[in-house]
Amino acid sequence: MSIALQTLWHERTRYASGVLAVTFSAVLIALQCGLLLGLFKITSIPIDNTSADVWIGSNKVESVDLGRPIPASYLSRIAGRPGITSVESYVAAFASFAKPAGGTEMCFLLGSNLDADAAGAAKVLSKEQLDLLTMPDAIVVDESDVKRLGVTDEKKAKINGKEVLVVGTVKGLKSLAAPWVFCSVHTARHLLGFMLPPDHITYYLARCETPARGRELAAELKAEYPEDMAVYTAEQFSTGSRVYWLFRTKAGIAIGYAALLGLLVGAVITAQTLYSATAANAKEFAILLALGIPRWRISAMVLSQSFWVGIIGIALAYPVCLGLKYGARQVGADVDLRWEVLTGTAVITVGMALVAGFFALRSVRQIEPMNLLR
Amino acid sequence: MMPWAASNVSPVLQGVSLMRTYGDGTARRNALQNVSVDLFPGQLVLLMGPSGSGKSTLLAALSGLLEPDSGQVLAADDDGRMRDVWQMTAREREAYRRRHTGFVFQGYNLFPALTARQQLELVLKWGENASGSEARRRADEVLDKLGLSANKNKKPAQLSGGEKQRVAIGRALVKNPTLVFADEPTSALDWENGQKVIELLRDAAHQRGAAVLCVSHDARLLPFVDVFYHLDDGRLERRTLPGA
Repeated sequence: MSIALQTLWHERTRYASGVLAVTFSAVLIALQCGLLLGLFKITSIPIDNTSADVWIGSNKVESVDLGRPIPASYLSRIAGRPGITSVESYVAAFASFAKPAGGTEMCFLLGSNLDADAAGAAKVLSKEQLDLLTMPDAIVVDESDVKRLGVTDEKKAKINGKEVLVVGTVKGLKSLAAPWVFCSVHTARHLLGFMLPPDHITYYLARCETPARGRELAAELKAEYPEDMAVYTAEQFSTGSRVYWLFRTKAGIAIGYAALLGLLVGAVITAQTLYSATAANAKEFAILLALGIPRWRISAMVLSQSFWVGIIGIALAYPVCLGLKYGARQVGADVDLRWEVLTGTAVITVGMALVAGFFALRSVRQIEPMNLLR
Repeated sequence: MMPWAASNVSPVLQGVSLMRTYGDGTARRNALQNVSVDLFPGQLVLLMGPSGSGKSTLLAALSGLLEPDSGQVLAADDDGRMRDVWQMTAREREAYRRRHTGFVFQGYNLFPALTARQQLELVLKWGENASGSEARRRADEVLDKLGLSANKNKKPAQLSGGEKQRVAIGRALVKNPTLVFADEPTSALDWENGQKVIELLRDAAHQRGAAVLCVSHDARLLPFVDVFYHLDDGRLERRTLPGA
């Protein structure tokens, strides 16, 4: 065991506050990021719940809900290329939902092909629901939105002034600003009316023989048509939609401030802990200096201790984060602790501990072997 | 006959006309007034004097820890040439201390987290970049000679005061220094342990050939030493040892 680690363990009560400060910072950062990522997953639900490899939409579209109509003729740009197994039309647009008992809500129409293996059909729709949706003006909503939309036992409502029938509900596709409304392309087109001009569509969804071919296709189309349409792989579009809303809502700034605050508190406590721990061993270090041991050796040990404080703090933070993620799930909140969040948190907090170590080095500079002589 | 008693033996350290004052105006105090002293290999020198007489200042100046106002501290380099410690750069002086000096203080100043063996290994690993196995071998060798074989794996909290001071002596001796400086090494110990400590310092001089300068108030150490100096009000005087 290294001397730094051995000292850390021997004087664990002294170092505990520094370790806990790192843990606190790490939990705060990971949870903030995880909660927001979980929250903004909602914005990419239409993408994440379909099985298309490539999404083609209007030029520079940044999020799935911002797609403008594109000419149906764009189909010729896509179809017929090698390695594509299917290309489907997909309609995505906001609409006005009139509650049966009065009042309106914004909803988001998602009109797709309804074949059982269609790329655009939401994966959660059952075979029966897909069949029912082939009826004109039939829709499906998430069960969490039934109350919000005021759907009664009659299952009837109006979208953009046209009567619709709620033929079923699904689970787990919660909405943020506007409830998702699943229907056929035909129904969507009918409900949107002039808002979706004839011979236009919102997206084309392509499915390829392999995901690798999907990436190639997206790159090909992007290069060929850089001016008037946007092409993304499903993964890119999903991430893009989340990031767009993260920054559009300034939630990214909120994370930044909260994380900065957590880091600052953690850094100050860690620096103070390391400073006082080093000062407590000043006499032992002073004798090493008297013996001609270079001061940088002692500085390196303090930095090594700060690194271990960071690592131990992170090791304690991870189970806490997972526990809190589980707790959040029980109350219906999704904390997305993907590996990027966990790794990023570790890098930031261990970096913070090292910075704190650098601040603590002033206690090393104050050590003078002369002080050992009375 | 001790090696230093031979007429052709050169000193390993010479303090020449050392002056050092503290404070100014009416608070001005002369800690060292034109002090000259030679330290020879194989010699245990005792420096006594009342509190505030300048003993620690002299030890600090000779050991390269405190710069005198004037005078020279000439130390024998590896090739035998004498160089003024206070004309060296800070880095050279640090390297000089690393190669040639060992220190023992009244407080044992041992790392609470480390075992007796590790206290010694640390000096070799950090000071000489010694490998783990070499540091261990040399640390064990010194601890065995100091009668600490059974205590190698004990931490300071498990050792008595005398044992702790012996470990501190081991830390000073493990790099085989030519100079050992001890500041009140026995004052925190009972006489039985104090006697063991001064015997070990004498062995360091007589058996290892180090020049040992020991600062103390304790007159009971006199029978163990080779040379005895008295410092009073910054003036050094060599005294005859009782029975000599």
